[in-house]
Amino acid sequence: MTLSESKDFLVNSASLKEVRTFSRDVFEKINLDQDLKDELVLAIAEAAQNIVKHGYKGIEETSDRMEIKISLNEDQLEIGFYDKGKPVVPENIQHRKLDDIKPGGLGTFFIKQIMDGAIFKKDQQDWVNHLVLTKKI
Amino acid sequence: MSYKVTTEGNISTVFLNGEIDMDVTEKAKEVILPLVESGKEVHLNLKDVSYMDSSGISVLIESHQKALEKNTKVVVKEVSKSVLKVIMMAKLEQILNLE
Repeated sequence: MTLSESKDFLVNSASLKEVRTFSRDVFEKINLDQDLKDELVLAIAEAAQNIVKHGYKGIEETSDRMEIKISLNEDQLEIGFYDKGKPVVPENIQHRKLDDIKPGGLGTFFIKQIMDGAIFKKDQQDWVNHLVLTKKI
Repeated sequence: MSYKVTTEGNISTVFLNGEIDMDVTEKAKEVILPLVESGKEVHLNLKDVSYMDSSGISVLIESHQKALEKNTKVVVKEVSKSVLKVIMMAKLEQILNLE
């Protein structure tokens, strides 16, 4: 099966619900276990949250939009995130240690737990950041 | 997210409903933390919480830690399957008081 769907969202926390709805709607078209669908929705929502929280840190309100593209090619799922926030330095992205119990720092950990791969690509002229999450399903 | 609070003696129970994400964490904290700070034992009933992300988990951790400071406790009750999975992914099932 091949599939490719994308949608753009205003960069703010209120959009996260729309991000989940879009993701769930796309995954409804794919024959997947419900638990896996839930995990994938969580990973997508965490990545979108990172854009809102970190990419636009210190910016109260923006008219910028972010785009999410979900593609499936046979058993390879690829999810792209495009944004115009602050440039991400991949080396600086770290989740907190799990035994250091404190609020925050878990979003990236969840993404790594759920997905097979997460890389930032420098292949876009119209966007600042392009994150690609991959998983064999 | 919507919520309901009931109080019986020194125990306040917060019934949360809906999806808990970054957009509603401040609202959730505004409901829960003052109860904890007042020294009450707080029960968080998550039966009707269908989704929780890392921001929601942060609220649970902050509430738990605030309760320890105040010599009281937060008990997380009737956790839905989907939320329990996220709590377990964060390896917090032994840290939070789950019932």
